[in-house]
Amino acid sequence: MLPSTDLFILNLLATFAPYLIVTVSLNLEYGYGGVPNFGKVLAVAGGAFMAGVIPGRLLAAVLGIDQGNFIGNNSQIIVKENGVLITSASLSLEIFVFTLLVSALVGALLGVIVAYPTRRLRADYLGMVLLAAGQVILVIGNNYPPLIGGTLGVSVPDPFQWAGSFAFAGLTPGDVRNIMAVAFMMIVAVIVFLYARRLTHSPLGRMLRAVRDDENSVLALGKDVERTRFKVIVFASAIAAVAGALYAFYTANVFYATFNRTGWTFWPWVMVILGGAANDWGVVAGTFIFVAVRQTITFYRDVFAPFLPFDVVWLDTLLLGLALLIILIYRPDGLIREKPIKTIKNAKPPFTGTEEAASPDSASERQEQSKGGLVDGLRSLFKSKKKSSPEKG
Amino acid sequence: MVDVVVLWSALVTSSLLSLLTIGLTLTYLTTRVPNFAHGSFASVGIYVGLVTAQVWGFNMYFGLLPGFLIGGAVALMQYLLFLRPMTRRNASVTALMVATIAFDILLIAILNIFADYLQNSFRLNSRYFLLSPYDFQIFGLRGIIVVAPVLVVAVVASLYLLLNKTKFGIAMRATIENPPLAGTIGINTNLVYIVSWFIAGGLAGMAGSVMSLWYIGNTDVGSNFFLISIFAAGVIGGIYNIYGAVIGAFIIGTVQSVLISTLATSFGAGIIPYQPLIPLIAMVATLLIAPSGIMGINYRALKKKLWRKPDAS
Repeated sequence: MLPSTDLFILNLLATFAPYLIVTVSLNLEYGYGGVPNFGKVLAVAGGAFMAGVIPGRLLAAVLGIDQGNFIGNNSQIIVKENGVLITSASLSLEIFVFTLLVSALVGALLGVIVAYPTRRLRADYLGMVLLAAGQVILVIGNNYPPLIGGTLGVSVPDPFQWAGSFAFAGLTPGDVRNIMAVAFMMIVAVIVFLYARRLTHSPLGRMLRAVRDDENSVLALGKDVERTRFKVIVFASAIAAVAGALYAFYTANVFYATFNRTGWTFWPWVMVILGGAANDWGVVAGTFIFVAVRQTITFYRDVFAPFLPFDVVWLDTLLLGLALLIILIYRPDGLIREKPIKTIKNAKPPFTGTEEAASPDSASERQEQSKGGLVDGLRSLFKSKKKSSPEKG
Repeated sequence: MVDVVVLWSALVTSSLLSLLTIGLTLTYLTTRVPNFAHGSFASVGIYVGLVTAQVWGFNMYFGLLPGFLIGGAVALMQYLLFLRPMTRRNASVTALMVATIAFDILLIAILNIFADYLQNSFRLNSRYFLLSPYDFQIFGLRGIIVVAPVLVVAVVASLYLLLNKTKFGIAMRATIENPPLAGTIGINTNLVYIVSWFIAGGLAGMAGSVMSLWYIGNTDVGSNFFLISIFAAGVIGGIYNIYGAVIGAFIIGTVQSVLISTLATSFGAGIIPYQPLIPLIAMVATLLIAPSGIMGINYRALKKKLWRKPDAS
């Protein structure tokens, strides 16, 4: 068995990786594109449901297992499939990658369905419709058993079990399986993060910010605002769906209530706002801090429990909800503020992206304005030193 | 033919929804932000009703007044503690919306803690409870069927009187139309905002306090079951119009109940859980066809457009 501290870190990363993907996608939508997606859970649940639908049936067909009633005999079928998967790493990974791709496609499709009729709406109406849409997928997941077993849920074939044969140094096969699963999740998360970073540092990223900040100017420049908004919702939904599928693979089952509004819409919003919207590293920091705090509360719940006359779950919800409200009032920019993106090396940024752009004052004043953040302050110090030397020399 | 029970259900749903939607419209008019915590004000009311009936042992309908006061106080707290500081710091609409969602989560957590407390201290069934046995009978009907519509009529009438016949009501309308101008001529706009938030939360709490006579009460009834219907009703009625809110609520409430029961008789009972799809579709359709809702349509222009005789040339 793993020592409890290592288990803590493993659980932390297992929650961090899928949430990082969701927050990166939300950051694309909200931070860069200005789309208030309060229905993030729609895409996440869509992807997770696909992990419940696709791999189990596909493997049963490939391996020639009698499907009969797939939902009814779900556990027996999955046990049989896992018996095959444990011996074949290649088949496991093929199923894993294929399911992720299908999930991304389904996520994109859900994005199209919800974004197409709503792309012209103003922020407040858009928020309402997206929130309502996010609620609907749970209703379907709950009440349509052929999809993911309704109120019973379904098991998902485990594509990481083969790693158990590499057990070493007193670790159980289950531990190694979890480590391998977390490693794969982290790999996918890092790929998504780097890709999103490339995307936002491209001209498209600048256009997204422009759509967010001033629609009319963008229209005047001949850009299609609605199309841009549509694209970013579809793309972000595809990414978020992958996160849902990953999480389902890790927990090895899908149950509709796991994907509720609080868990997969609201928590990602807290993470993005805590870290700082439209800021890649800010979002990473926000996600990590949030997941770590929650994990700590859950980890020490037995310590709190005797002192509380209620379930510890609600304490954690209460504190984090309150924390978000306080951040929104006192530091709406989050821990790390949005910064201009430099796409050309060693060149002065032509566009600062924030409200500060409106006042084209001297560089020193701008530095003073951005003193608020620790990181900002350090960076501006560093910059001013760098800048001053060639001017004097 | 549609069953009579379905019609009663439609009437109760529409009435409770009206009370909720009027409040949503009021807060939207003043603060210009859709309040996602509005459904949970009703959940607060549900627990006021539970306490009235089972802890204090009063008639359920005595809960209406404490429901109004507590619901109003909660709404006021949301506005004064969170939304007003944010608007003063020039927060964006999206940030305000996030704040309302955060407050919603906060309320749900507090309600759950309160439900645990009720369960532990009073040995009450504080989750998924139905209080219909506490209702009285009137003309062979359940009391709520009569009380809910009467409540709507009373609320609409008193709102009409307040907004049109009193000095403060006219000041309220002026503030809604143009806050800076209203401030310039000496209207206390702060007080207007505070009163509208209090009334909004109060109506929702009042609706909530009798809600568990008809619906199964739980901590998430307002935020899960009612929230989308409230928004749909608000959008259909034209979210800038208080009387439109009532019309929108009756449309949504009736369509939801009648359409689902009609569909269930032809397609089987399996279709009933998909009820939440109806307000979503109605909302999207309204936003696409008539974005300003039923009260926002320019009927004269529409009539001209539709009845125009084909040109000879």
